[in-house]
Amino acid sequence: MSSPEFAVQALYSQHHGWLNTWLRTRLGNAADAADLAQDTFVRLLQRSERPELRAPRAFLRTIAQGLVIDHWRREEIERAYLQTIAHLPEAETPGAEAQALILELLEAIARMLEGLKPKVRKAFLLAQCEGLTYKQIAEQMGVSLRSVERYVADALYHCYVLRYES
Amino acid sequence: MKAEPADHLQSRRNGPSQQVVRQAINWLLRLRNHATHPSLRQQCDTWRAAHPEHELAWQRVQSLHSEITSNLRAVPGAHIALDTLENSAQRLSRRQALKLLSGVALMGGAAWLGKDLGWQSWNADFATVTGERRGYQLPDGTRLELNTHSAADLDFTAQQRLITLARGEIMVTCGRDPGRPLLVKSRHGLFEGLEGRFVVRQDSDCTRLSVTSGRVVIRSHPNSDGSPIQVEAGQSYLITAATATLAPPLDMDAGAWADGLIVTRNMRLADFLNEVGRYRPGYLNCAASIADLRLSGVFRLEDTDKLLAVLPRTLPVQIRYRTRWWITVERLA
Repeated sequence: MSSPEFAVQALYSQHHGWLNTWLRTRLGNAADAADLAQDTFVRLLQRSERPELRAPRAFLRTIAQGLVIDHWRREEIERAYLQTIAHLPEAETPGAEAQALILELLEAIARMLEGLKPKVRKAFLLAQCEGLTYKQIAEQMGVSLRSVERYVADALYHCYVLRYES
Repeated sequence: MKAEPADHLQSRRNGPSQQVVRQAINWLLRLRNHATHPSLRQQCDTWRAAHPEHELAWQRVQSLHSEITSNLRAVPGAHIALDTLENSAQRLSRRQALKLLSGVALMGGAAWLGKDLGWQSWNADFATVTGERRGYQLPDGTRLELNTHSAADLDFTAQQRLITLARGEIMVTCGRDPGRPLLVKSRHGLFEGLEGRFVVRQDSDCTRLSVTSGRVVIRSHPNSDGSPIQVEAGQSYLITAATATLAPPLDMDAGAWADGLIVTRNMRLADFLNEVGRYRPGYLNCAASIADLRLSGVFRLEDTDKLLAVLPRTLPVQIRYRTRWWITVERLA
């Protein structure tokens, strides 16, 4: 291959249609599928190494899968956030700009906590967001104090690995 | 241990060890929970000073922790960050389980964290393991069913809808899309589904096309004249590397597996056991003296042990388990 751009172009012409179809079966929506197919190739251009040439579709699919999950996460966070603030009095509802910023923050945290077991995530969030003591968390979740300590430490370790070792 | 990219190992080797990171986390949490403890802070300082690795781990853990905390506290309103994150995480994982994982659920959850895990194994778009059957709705309305130990790739473009059978057996129910022909390719031929439903089964030396309803055209085959062959409902064709021939009526229903059944008509026992063996790992065979016994009936595929247990009721045979996965069928003594 003469240049990375050339290689990506060749991949694009051979597999773009297939990737679009693959994404459409997941997303059920042609416009989103087209967007994410484009994003997949943009990501590819940004990469330095090129392992995709041996098994191009498997590789494209791996990138696309990550993008589909990002897309869904954004949707779910927005939906959950709007539901959560729906009952707030209007004066307390953040403005549009503030909401965008809040959603971004929440998304970053959600991405970091992804893959944690539900109990671990819950204990960590109760400690971090609500500032509950471990004893209060243990009571609320119906688990032992020892478990809460372990959950919070595990969650923090998970975030550490994600941030510094991957 | 799973294989990891070399650069992961590298950064891990440069950074503090897992044990030290864990210790740093424990110090941080203890300090946070026992802020008034008189000597804890001092003990922690002593630990940090003991080794540069300790200090590095401490700095990282502390900055990460304060970043997460301040991000979470930046969300105004009590409970709002917690509720949003909890609800969205639950829904997201359900959604992943429902959609994305459906074709590759057996790969395990680790593959979904966006890391470079095991992508090499997903070389086919759709695949099943031994004993598994799966169905998919394709975007054009076509329905694709995969039988046990099968794999297929999709290539849908503006000109065509191509399904390549990599191994095993598929059933295709044609969706309508007049502008783009629906094609199935196997090692031995190329088939165009015009309407209805058909089954393509690829073995090592031949491919069998069976049309259950509607019409299929064999576009590419080894016969010398090369002209397309029309196949009507109820017909089966056998295509090898050398010829394509109309097959005699089958001794089993070609598409019953999609309903989880084997339906046989006067089928040889040896052939029947061959069929059943496709759905389970291990070895399944019968003594030569009973290979030609005949069998008709409807058998459920969901539990092949139960299926085999039924045989002695209709035939003079007994099932002998040498191990769970090594079974011979013998003449009743």
